[in-house]
Amino acid sequence: MNDNYFGSLFRRRIVFVIIIGFFAICSVQLFNMQILQQPTYSEKSDENSVKPIYQLAPRGIFYDRNHKVLVGNKPSFTLRITPSTYDKKLTPYLEAILGMSPGYIDRILKLNESYSKFIPRKIAKDVSFKVIAWYEENSSKLPGVDYVMETQRDYSFGVTGAHMFGYTKEIPLEVFQRRKGEYDIGDEIGFGGIEKTYEDYLRGEKGIKYMLVDAKQKTIGRYKAGEEDQATIKGDDLTLTIDKDAQEVAEEEFKDKRGAVVALDPSTGEVLAFLSAPQYNLEDFAKVTSNEVWRELNNNPDRPMFNRASMSTFAPGSTFKMISAIAGLEEGIIDTNFKVNCGGGYQFGDRYFKCLHVHGTVDVETSIEKSCNTFYYTLVNKLGLDTWSKYAKKFGFGTKTKIDIPEESSGIVPSTEYYNRVYGKNGWTKGFVISLGIGQGELNVTPLQLAQYAALFANYGKSARPHFLKSYMDTQTNKRYDVKPQYYDIGISRKSFDIVRRAMYLVVNGAGTATNIKLPDIAIAGKTGTAQNPHGKDHAIFVGFAPYDNPKIAIAVIVENAGFGSTVAAPIARDIIKAYLQKDKKEEPKDLAALPVVKEANIEH
Amino acid sequence: MNINYKLQDRFDLSIFLPVIGLIIFGLLAIYSSTVNHPTASGNFQKQVIFVIISLFVFFVTFSLPLQSFKKFAIALYGISIFFLIAVLAIGKTVYGAKSWFGIGGFGFQPSELAKLGTILMLSYWLTYKSRDINNLKDIGVALLIGVFPVVLIMLEPDMGTSIVFLVITVSLIFWSGISLFGLFVVLSPGIVTLASILGIYAFIVALLLVVAALFFFKKDLFNSIAVFIINLSAGFFFDYIYRVLKPHQQKRIASFLDPSADPLGAGYNALQAKVAIGSGGFWGKGFLHGNQTQLRFIPEQWTDFIYCVIGEEFGYIGSMIVILLFLVIFLRLFKLSATAKDRFSVLVTVGVLTLLFSHFALNIGMNVGVTPVIGLPLPFLSYGGSTQFINMVMIGIVLNIYRNRKLHT
Repeated sequence: MNDNYFGSLFRRRIVFVIIIGFFAICSVQLFNMQILQQPTYSEKSDENSVKPIYQLAPRGIFYDRNHKVLVGNKPSFTLRITPSTYDKKLTPYLEAILGMSPGYIDRILKLNESYSKFIPRKIAKDVSFKVIAWYEENSSKLPGVDYVMETQRDYSFGVTGAHMFGYTKEIPLEVFQRRKGEYDIGDEIGFGGIEKTYEDYLRGEKGIKYMLVDAKQKTIGRYKAGEEDQATIKGDDLTLTIDKDAQEVAEEEFKDKRGAVVALDPSTGEVLAFLSAPQYNLEDFAKVTSNEVWRELNNNPDRPMFNRASMSTFAPGSTFKMISAIAGLEEGIIDTNFKVNCGGGYQFGDRYFKCLHVHGTVDVETSIEKSCNTFYYTLVNKLGLDTWSKYAKKFGFGTKTKIDIPEESSGIVPSTEYYNRVYGKNGWTKGFVISLGIGQGELNVTPLQLAQYAALFANYGKSARPHFLKSYMDTQTNKRYDVKPQYYDIGISRKSFDIVRRAMYLVVNGAGTATNIKLPDIAIAGKTGTAQNPHGKDHAIFVGFAPYDNPKIAIAVIVENAGFGSTVAAPIARDIIKAYLQKDKKEEPKDLAALPVVKEANIEH
Repeated sequence: MNINYKLQDRFDLSIFLPVIGLIIFGLLAIYSSTVNHPTASGNFQKQVIFVIISLFVFFVTFSLPLQSFKKFAIALYGISIFFLIAVLAIGKTVYGAKSWFGIGGFGFQPSELAKLGTILMLSYWLTYKSRDINNLKDIGVALLIGVFPVVLIMLEPDMGTSIVFLVITVSLIFWSGISLFGLFVVLSPGIVTLASILGIYAFIVALLLVVAALFFFKKDLFNSIAVFIINLSAGFFFDYIYRVLKPHQQKRIASFLDPSADPLGAGYNALQAKVAIGSGGFWGKGFLHGNQTQLRFIPEQWTDFIYCVIGEEFGYIGSMIVILLFLVIFLRLFKLSATAKDRFSVLVTVGVLTLLFSHFALNIGMNVGVTPVIGLPLPFLSYGGSTQFINMVMIGIVLNIYRNRKLHT
């Protein structure tokens, strides 16, 4: 038999038999199921059904760089209402026992009105055991009300870190629809900060318990004795780059102040401390957030929800003088012999720009040490706007640092193109440029950018993208993955850095503007600044790094409406530096060193 | 009746009308399963729009000159592959370690486009001038055309669609007249690879079976050794690839091979599907009155489990009408494969038939519990724009082939 040819009859027959055969099998099976076994299936459908009960997975825990817990989990009870069987007459009783104001339950039910009536709504989280005991006693009189055990974020480990950690909330409808199939209604999802960026690591996987329920949805047993159940998988634990001790000091110092702190490891870009003050209470978000809390947070004049550390922008004042110094040295416009005579100010056209003192003959080193304005009015005029602007951008100003939290501003670095766009070709004068030399004017930077700037001085122009995630532990494989820093080099000569770094050393340890924070055992280098504030008292700024010879920490501190940088901002920076470096000496990181590093992970956003 | 005859002569109503019938059944079932759903209630309106667009595309495809499909083949295949790679690339950069990004921002499932591209490309290659289907090189290229998209789709991962591509490839090679030995060469590496995943013993047993088969075919030593080496390396190659992958990718392949590891609980869904269909009885519980459907015991019922809605609400009558409509379409396509004007048209018809039939068989089989749970949409009925669109393009092509069946060039 030779049928090895195109579309042979034998082959056609095989295909035909497959089609007819499968059709026959299906018809017989349908007849069997729908007619012969119909009563059995019907009974199953009417009386017993299998209902999956989803169990939420605990989110991954946040550890600090020394494996101390920053954010954990705790068990809690959540009270729920299923509208299809709920009796609205119960509302006053429930509100009374929960201690909620009248109208609270109605509002939550109205909020989720578009969902199916069969889906339970969470009405109160972290309910006390007293309430649960009351419920257990009266459950038969409370149709449509039930409770579930959940885990909830536990913030009781000594640091708040609200703006970097972010919070979790019930998934909004819009996100639910975008991430189709990945979440269920009522699931928690990360909002803001690290909780949002690393949501997919942190969330874990839900477990499923299959229960047999009757037509009234009442549980009557386990399905197949639980053999099809799936265990919950906890989310991946994150080890953050944060140093808990440094963070605690920062939070303590800012208890009664407004402002921000960002501290980085200059060689790796690891964020050691990150604070925006005032903070908000993350606990408020762990419960079902009441309208009162929202209103209070949104109307507070101090804007506690606003992440100042990476989103607020302001003119950096004198801390920006090093940009002009580096630009002048690199471009060969000045050298160490270049001197300016400061007679208390600088005449440019018909305008007079003031200096704070009469500094006499000033070279580049003294100009930073003593923070002489006249020197920089002169220098920036020699540099020209676009050269100055080029160097500001080299140090990362005007663009986002791409830190691994979603909240970040890019700031503004003016250039000819920028002024032309804003004011028109002839709408601005060279006078605009003069004030940029001392970090005033339309220059806008974030505290995070200033910390990155300090890190670049600390490490001679080499650093890595600022980031919070040091490593994560894959719960399923039990392997730890280290995050590889994304290094970069801004390409500026060591010679120029040596001159400017020396001057920054003298600011604290010579006759400079921040000698008040000089320490006997740690050599801090830095620069003070004052940001002019059109709306009130000026902001105090300090940027710096330590130890001078082998920098381990770079820092930017801004205190809003506090006046001069040296009196308020610099001591805070000093205390944080001390907390980080002195602990470094006495305490070896525990646990972490013993855990094997498996692979380096590249994480992009 | 004269006009009718002429119409039937140029336009096969016995394919078109059953397709329309199935689409209407699909719309009813989608409406029923989503009308009370908290988040999917807009799906019915969306599907109506998909149907209207796909009907328009159907008429365009139907009106094109038949020759154009041959010309499209290479380009369409290339574009499909490009999109399949792009999807993987996009999924990768967004989250380095755990990427479960599905389709990206295309709003179109590239694997659907690839079905069309692969059928056209394979038909084009297998019928180009004097192709010899039993020449090792020609088979090899045909296999490459068919298997390349399978590898890319496996990485997504989409088990059902990968299987469909394999079935199409084998079916077209089979129809082209491959010898029994050739078919063995084609199929054995796949079986050996599958065995290598199951463990070292299964791998060895599979290899021994290959050796036994080689003795049976009594080919010369060189050919036998070559085939054996192909089999051996297929097993090792897959193993090597598997080891190079990151843990989360390995996990994906594992869940791909073991559908019971499906996060939604495949066993649970299969049971609920049977209860829904079985409880429908002879007449069904009536439109919008199926308690399994309305209480949503089966997640996403409007996609892969749409047939249960029909089984539950329209009973044995409705279920039989649906599979009979499919049978009519399959038999008409089968008949067309004998009357189409050239080999390219024949293979395209066979490809479309295989595609629709494999979807039908795996989907209905899963719903009534005679095949394993493998997620695949039911053609013309399941919710989804991409599938509806491509299926109607395919129907457009085969009706085009029907229209041109008697013309000789």
